[in-house]
Amino acid sequence: MREEIRYIAPLFRKCFIQTGVVLVCLFGMQSLHAQTNVSKEYRIKAVFLFNFTQFVEWPSAAFSGPTSPFVIGILGDDPFGNSIDETIQNEKVGSHPLVVQRYKDLRDLKNCHILFLNGSDPEKVRENLLVINHYTLTVSDADNFMKSGGIIRLITENNRIRIQVNPEAARTAELFISSKLLRVSEIFDPKNQPK
Amino acid sequence: MQNDQLLILRRRYHKLCNCTRLGFLYYTMKRKKSVILFSFVCLFVAPVWISAQTTLPAASELKKLSFEELMNIEVTSVSKVPERLTEVASAIQVITNDDIKRSSSNTLGGALRLASNLQVAKTNSHDWAISSRGFNGATLRNNTLSNKLLVMIDGRSVYTPLFGGVFWDVQNVLLEDIDRIEVVSGPGGTLWGANAVNGVINVMTKSAKETQGMLVTASTGTFLQDHLAARFGTRIDSNLYLRVYGQHFDQGSTKLANGTDARDNWGLTQGGFRLDYYPSAKNSLSIHGDAYGGSEETPIGSKQSGQNLVGRWVHTYSETSELVVQAYFDRTWKYLLASDLRELLNTYDIDAQHRFALNKSNSILWGIGYRYMDDHTSNTFLPANRGLNLVNTFIQDQINLIPHELDLTVGTKFLYNTYSGFEIQPSARIAWMPTPRHTLWGAVSRAVRTPSRFETDIFSPPTLSTPGGIFKAETVVSYEVGYRVRAGERVSLSLAAFYNFYDDLRSFNNNPTPPTTFIFANDQEANTWGFEISGNAVVNDWWRLRGGYTYLDKKFTSKSPNVLPASALIEALDPKHQVMIQSVMNLTRNLQWDVAARHVGDIQSTLVGTAAVGAYTTFDMRLAWESPKFTFAVQGQNLAASDHAEFSSQQIPRSVLAKISFRF
Repeated sequence: MREEIRYIAPLFRKCFIQTGVVLVCLFGMQSLHAQTNVSKEYRIKAVFLFNFTQFVEWPSAAFSGPTSPFVIGILGDDPFGNSIDETIQNEKVGSHPLVVQRYKDLRDLKNCHILFLNGSDPEKVRENLLVINHYTLTVSDADNFMKSGGIIRLITENNRIRIQVNPEAARTAELFISSKLLRVSEIFDPKNQPK
Repeated sequence: MQNDQLLILRRRYHKLCNCTRLGFLYYTMKRKKSVILFSFVCLFVAPVWISAQTTLPAASELKKLSFEELMNIEVTSVSKVPERLTEVASAIQVITNDDIKRSSSNTLGGALRLASNLQVAKTNSHDWAISSRGFNGATLRNNTLSNKLLVMIDGRSVYTPLFGGVFWDVQNVLLEDIDRIEVVSGPGGTLWGANAVNGVINVMTKSAKETQGMLVTASTGTFLQDHLAARFGTRIDSNLYLRVYGQHFDQGSTKLANGTDARDNWGLTQGGFRLDYYPSAKNSLSIHGDAYGGSEETPIGSKQSGQNLVGRWVHTYSETSELVVQAYFDRTWKYLLASDLRELLNTYDIDAQHRFALNKSNSILWGIGYRYMDDHTSNTFLPANRGLNLVNTFIQDQINLIPHELDLTVGTKFLYNTYSGFEIQPSARIAWMPTPRHTLWGAVSRAVRTPSRFETDIFSPPTLSTPGGIFKAETVVSYEVGYRVRAGERVSLSLAAFYNFYDDLRSFNNNPTPPTTFIFANDQEANTWGFEISGNAVVNDWWRLRGGYTYLDKKFTSKSPNVLPASALIEALDPKHQVMIQSVMNLTRNLQWDVAARHVGDIQSTLVGTAAVGAYTTFDMRLAWESPKFTFAVQGQNLAASDHAEFSSQQIPRSVLAKISFRF
């Protein structure tokens, strides 16, 4: 076996150079095919947001009419780019077509069913959460989000995304979270937290 | 689209190959060194402006996945530069799970090559010489006399009181379970256990919560002949997680300098578990253990086995206050056939550590620990059995002089050991962060290497004797300065320079009072100096690089005319220069191409009968196809250097391995 390797080795060396050449070409090619640069993390988070529409129930009172849109709002800088638009394209929640709205500031905020709060400033998040209506599923990846009263936090740890849910906060917002979602989530209990 | 691109590429590349027959590339092909040079050029000339490449399925496909499947996708194929490193005022380098996975290493020793601030050399099929900032000692039986490094695996110290080093052949953590390895070069003496003179290696495995599901891997290759591993993780209760694992491998042999088979093949079987319990947000409990058994042929035929059990409880009072209590039992057994030496070591250890904020600007960390080591030998050591006590306590105050800008950390460790009694190891560190991206730091520390049974109890008439109880601890006073910078999210760079002054180093002396010819003494001094540069660069969405360069030089002085001239070489066999570069690349959504290249400078002549080890340059390469449930990898080690010596006369081979992994 070792003998065989000895014969293969010089070939391997040659291949290595050729692979290098391929790579140089590849770089050249790549630059011609520029794509939008939304991180993998947020493209997956966009899919999480979409999945929440399927595993959380909104009361009919949350909608102004039977075909009124289901609104996913993004507050603050938009980390999703067009990945969220791609994800929800032609999708419906029951009879409600999905739409995305982006809000620069709290003052622009309109009624929405899912609100993604971007921004890692805990004070700001807390402030934002104070003025958010009933029937809004608040989602964020900010560190202090759960303590500030948020409903779902997306945690990126060890390169993977986990979900943390505060069922109590969901109940307050009059939303019903399915057991399927709860099963894969970590439950956040505000009473049982280190100070 | 992807295929079309590839087709065009293939055509282009044929053309290119033809064109270059007469050109620069052909010239480089003819010379081995230049091949490496070329590969480096390949890695570096690549423009940083390359746009991101899609490595994820389209949104329409992602929507079909369940929550569990979504949660299993790795979100950053390219890890972000770890942020908290910028705040650490020491020469720390971190090897992540992904770094290891994307290297071609299949042992812990191999994985440690990824830290460029370590001197790592393979001595034979089953052992390693590993040190930081020099002092890789000469080979002794299957091991080396390297003794200035503290190695911890999940809080358990794995150094042997027999000679103060580590038996690397029995530290076989399942690499897939490793969360991260922190490598600190320089004295970590204040906070850690004994022997952290030149550095600390801290191996941390993932919690059972993070290793849920089934993982099976099987490998076969030309050097590592077979490796089978399985791990299963399950949630027993809502807050209780368990994983169990098992692995078995057989590794082939190296060659001797004359080309004949060194017959140093070995095999090992290991199993273990980890239980993580989170009764509340304020408490967590972790219990884990391992058991192994293996056998090795030459240089000294040996058998080994061991078991360990560790329990750790963490209680969080508040964000600034935490208590950690840990206890472990560790049993290791070794049998060296040729010298009929059996060694059984039972270690009992208990530690507690408490962190709290004294006021707004003072954060205190203090701890206390006791270890009892019960060592039994069948010959070579006198007395044959020894019970060793080690008591240590430490206190450290991190003083925030200017919030977010200037930190001073002062602390000391007090140590009591059976051999040299009471030892004190103080240190002071200062860190200045003029902006959040830049950290300048400096440190002065004193650390000791406590005597081992080797210098105090060895009994080998008529050649060698020990000075008994008068052998002192070796000491170092170390001066360090460093600079860390983070340029955006994507690039980080670290520079650390040091000057160490060692005193009372072990020496082999001519014995002025026979019967024995030689005797141990503390008659050497040494100065070492050097620097370490390391960096991480996330080039784009699908490519990242990490690497480093380490320079080390030293000067030994004898304090007595009786010191044998070879004494310095017995203590320190280190290359002056070493370079490591790791490239991690996702060629397409599923295809990974990774390279880890290294250059290691020459090592001065070792003892009688062995030649100096020449400089060598080589690289490992891995090509893998990975989907969420399945990985197939072909990986090669030492592809540019066929049989080459790294430390002793054993020739480490070039090798190729195929590996298949399933996750479900």
